[in-house]
Amino acid sequence: MIRNLKEVKDNNFDITRSADEVRSLSFNDQVCLGCGICESTCPVEAITLNAIAIDARVGFETYFSGHDKISQNIKEAPDIQRISIDENKCVLCGMCSGLCPVDALVLTIDGTPIKEIEAYPHYNAFSEIDDDECIYCKRCETACPRDAIVIERVLPDRADLVTGEINVDEEECIYCGVCQELCPAEAIVVDQVTGEESIVIDKDKCVYCLVCKKACPTNAIKAICRACNYGEYDLDPAKAVVKGNSVIDSELCVYCGWCEGVCPTDAAKVKKPFEGSIEVDDEKCQACGACVDICQCNALAFPVSSGPGSRMEHVTAFNDYCVRCKACEKACPNDAITVLRTEVDHTPINSTTWKDALDAIKD
Amino acid sequence: MPKHIASGLKYLAAVKLKDAGESHQAIANELGVDRSTISHYLNGSNLSWNSIDVARTITELSPRDFLKMTEAIFDEPEQSRKIVNICQERNFEVNVEDSCIGCGLCVNACSMKAIKLESLKAHADSIQCCGCQLCIDECPTNSIKILEI
Repeated sequence: MIRNLKEVKDNNFDITRSADEVRSLSFNDQVCLGCGICESTCPVEAITLNAIAIDARVGFETYFSGHDKISQNIKEAPDIQRISIDENKCVLCGMCSGLCPVDALVLTIDGTPIKEIEAYPHYNAFSEIDDDECIYCKRCETACPRDAIVIERVLPDRADLVTGEINVDEEECIYCGVCQELCPAEAIVVDQVTGEESIVIDKDKCVYCLVCKKACPTNAIKAICRACNYGEYDLDPAKAVVKGNSVIDSELCVYCGWCEGVCPTDAAKVKKPFEGSIEVDDEKCQACGACVDICQCNALAFPVSSGPGSRMEHVTAFNDYCVRCKACEKACPNDAITVLRTEVDHTPINSTTWKDALDAIKD
Repeated sequence: MPKHIASGLKYLAAVKLKDAGESHQAIANELGVDRSTISHYLNGSNLSWNSIDVARTITELSPRDFLKMTEAIFDEPEQSRKIVNICQERNFEVNVEDSCIGCGLCVNACSMKAIKLESLKAHADSIQCCGCQLCIDECPTNSIKILEI
């Protein structure tokens, strides 16, 4: 009889069965959406969704006292992971991993994740940034709710964009320090110590604005801005280009579409695993914020206050950025949220059971 | 003593293979013993009849007991697998139903290496099956049906 071994580290764990083939199921709590698809599809009922309603780690006892599951979970284990798996029940079939819309549950067989094995179903979802279109503005990096995007950009040399000449006539200079105080680029350092007076201009910092020249009481600064004098003709456009590199961490990405939504150049493209809709019933919503907390996609938010002291009455859902994971629907103590998952886009699959499981998560 | 029983089981296997028309050399290769030993076996020498009786009794046990006893007697799983395969008198037909989830527990459980996973479903080779039903014990979805034919 081969037993499963469970290794727990922080809120993550691995369940491993070693026989002729080694199967290992890894859970990454940070990536988990709390959607509960694994709980509802596990064929041996080994998975339990924990403090789904709110991020229990925030310690949010006062949020809502009327919802039994939330308050109980917080009381018992304030630092609980989003799901628990009974390693004595788990048969490591990998259905949870195959149906997990993100990489929170990953089954590997002899070290190969099942998403690299053709027999297993995979969601047709992707996120990508086209480097040819990307202008490295970092809007997506800021918008990404999962911090999954890293944009590295290399700015052009400032010296290539502003050129000029600047010199100080030390015969005329009285080291008054007016230029240093006025310089917007902090390019001038004046030493006023009697007997050791000096003035130094850092030409790498200078933007040739000529403020120092205009303010100098003794006309000691001789400067000229070439861009102003000659227009932009002496600038090489190729030297003004912002270069960079954009990377999406596929393990963290939840395909919410914020990057695509904010991208000014259509460089970011996202295909979601599920299609559907989200709606909030304003009548039922008590503005408790449980959904806002659980949502990993920033698809739910309180509207900007209409006036000082006004109370938030209900949340707003951004349909475009919802991944239809339904974590909020489960979290809402007032049944105010309806999420429909009408399309589940996955690769073809032969197994009847797996196909049934995929069909079952569709509304 | 277990060595004697092992010889008894090899003797029974040798007789079966002989009946199937195999040459002494082929039998020796199959069972991993000297050709001369096989010839001795088949000429009725060098083996106590009592060992053969015990061995025959073992082959007549329930399929699971036959398998478990044979595994206990032989050190090499490969060898016990061969003996069971050759000496088993009964035939089985294995069907895996569509409720199979492809967890692979049956693959691990099967001493006869009769089960393989393909396209997330277990596929069993009825010829290899010894009818021990260990896979049925492991199957979480009760998807394996074994019939004696």
